[in-house]
Amino acid sequence: MGDKEKQKILVADDDRDLVLALSIRLKAAGYEVICAYDGEEAFRLSQEHKPDLIILDVRMPAGGGFSSIDRLKHSLTTRNIPVIFLTAFDDEEMREQARTLGAAGYFRKPFDDEEFMRTISQVLGKT
Amino acid sequence: MKVYHVAYLGYDSEAALALESGLKQAGFKFTSLGADSEGIRKAAEIQPDIIIWDIGDVREGQVKIPAEEMKKAGLEKQCIVAVVPSADIEGAIQSLASGAIDFIFKPLKDSPVPRIIAALNTCQKKRRIDWYSRIIEDTNNQIKGILATMEDPAYIVSPQYQILYMNRAAEEIFGEGLRGGTCHHVFYDRTEPCEVCAKSKGPARWRAVLKNGKSYRFISAIIRNSTGEIEKLAVGTDITPDEEVKKIHRTFISNVSHDLRTPLAAIDQYVSIMLDGLGGELTDEQKQYLQVIKRSSFRLHNLIENLIDANNILSGHFKLTMEVTTIPQILEIVLPRLKAQAEDSNLTFQLSVPDDLPPIYADKARIAQVVANLVGNAIKFTEQGIVQLRAGFMPRDEGRIIVSVEDTGIGIPKEDLGKIFELFYRVEKDKVYVEEGAGLGLSISREIVRAHGGTLWVESMEGMGSAFHFTLPVQKGLRV
Repeated sequence: MGDKEKQKILVADDDRDLVLALSIRLKAAGYEVICAYDGEEAFRLSQEHKPDLIILDVRMPAGGGFSSIDRLKHSLTTRNIPVIFLTAFDDEEMREQARTLGAAGYFRKPFDDEEFMRTISQVLGKT
Repeated sequence: MKVYHVAYLGYDSEAALALESGLKQAGFKFTSLGADSEGIRKAAEIQPDIIIWDIGDVREGQVKIPAEEMKKAGLEKQCIVAVVPSADIEGAIQSLASGAIDFIFKPLKDSPVPRIIAALNTCQKKRRIDWYSRIIEDTNNQIKGILATMEDPAYIVSPQYQILYMNRAAEEIFGEGLRGGTCHHVFYDRTEPCEVCAKSKGPARWRAVLKNGKSYRFISAIIRNSTGEIEKLAVGTDITPDEEVKKIHRTFISNVSHDLRTPLAAIDQYVSIMLDGLGGELTDEQKQYLQVIKRSSFRLHNLIENLIDANNILSGHFKLTMEVTTIPQILEIVLPRLKAQAEDSNLTFQLSVPDDLPPIYADKARIAQVVANLVGNAIKFTEQGIVQLRAGFMPRDEGRIIVSVEDTGIGIPKEDLGKIFELFYRVEKDKVYVEEGAGLGLSISREIVRAHGGTLWVESMEGMGSAFHFTLPVQKGLRV
């Protein structure tokens, strides 16, 4: 990353403890982190900050991950921002749905740090 | 002694008198009535044991006995003996045809007593037969009603497997007009009798997926028919899980596992943040303690996943993602981890997989899971020595591949050998108590292997190590 402008990642999860953990790890890796705790906030802050990557929980108040990604992909401002799902659901149908909705990744909690960070840098490298 | 009552219905006073004197002498009670509706009504009131109906003079053409009218009036049990002029053979025949059980010629030459006694005897037998046939008819109707209204398919087959009977539910599944066909052909599209019938002539239980796509559990009973042959009655119960219940179950499991995994993710994250030094410098002791938390969390995670897996297998939500693959491709997924595990336990890990093994059709991740479970167990229960993983052709059977995991560990006591595949079973002995594991791995592995059309079994002696083997069918004609 160096001194260039930091890449911005929005993390949305209603589990505040996990959002904090992710932001510690992502900041340590040199990213700027924006935190959101429900679907509505995730959408609003994405519009406002135009992050480079959005990490969404599936089950959240005020619009879960699936309706959030749908809104994001239908908005001109956010339609090209990659979205990675991070959820405790492990369901083939959900993975499929995530793919259909245009997700760039799907991680199941608990997840492997290294693999997660690797995917993030890969996804960000592409954009 | 019972006094039998005989009623004469007719207008021939000479005949009446002759009957009366003969019967009264023998101890019968005798009543004389008119051969008309009034006579019938009175007879019904006194309920005699026998009715003697005088068909009168043949020239009057009064031959037919009003059996129906008598029945309606309440003379149901009584048998009728006709009195017929001795010249009137036609009248005698017609009286028998219209309901009499016997006849007496008039004028009477001999005593009427033997004929009346014989008639009483016949009448009693007839009443018994009537009673039995009514019961048989009633029972028959009841059974037919039960079978017809039953939602479970039921059928009866002969010893030659011919379908003798099918109830409505069975006809709805298999079609109508199939009686006479052989059951294995009509029901299961087989040319030979099914194993269940071939194996035993007695009552049996089996499961089958029928033509309507539903799963049934059948129970059969034997019926000995009138010629002594053994017929089989089979009744099936629909055991297809209810879709609604299945959905509720799935949602429940999905939510519970979600809620169990969520806090684990936070635990994992904070532990690794601390271990990575993102929360400040740690002492070696602190790092050591965090490693314990990490290991425990990993174990808990495994336990949750295994429970969910076991639940899915038990409830039939067990989906395999089949593809053409090879044993080395499958081992690739788990070998690095298993080798590291063996190394950590100071065990020698040996691998022997020939290059010429044919491809198989399998769910890679699931078979890898089986291998990981078996090798993991071998490592867990081996203090020192070797853990060996081998693959090859099944001896004398080129159609199957066998994978074996052998160790030099504590082995399995004889009494536990049969039970280790049971859900939640753990071999527990003071000296070999191993705290990890919930007794799920082997049951899951066996189900996975079964779902692939293979078998999983064990050979072991206490103190002499264990060998777990599983087979998988070779996919003939496939090339990777």
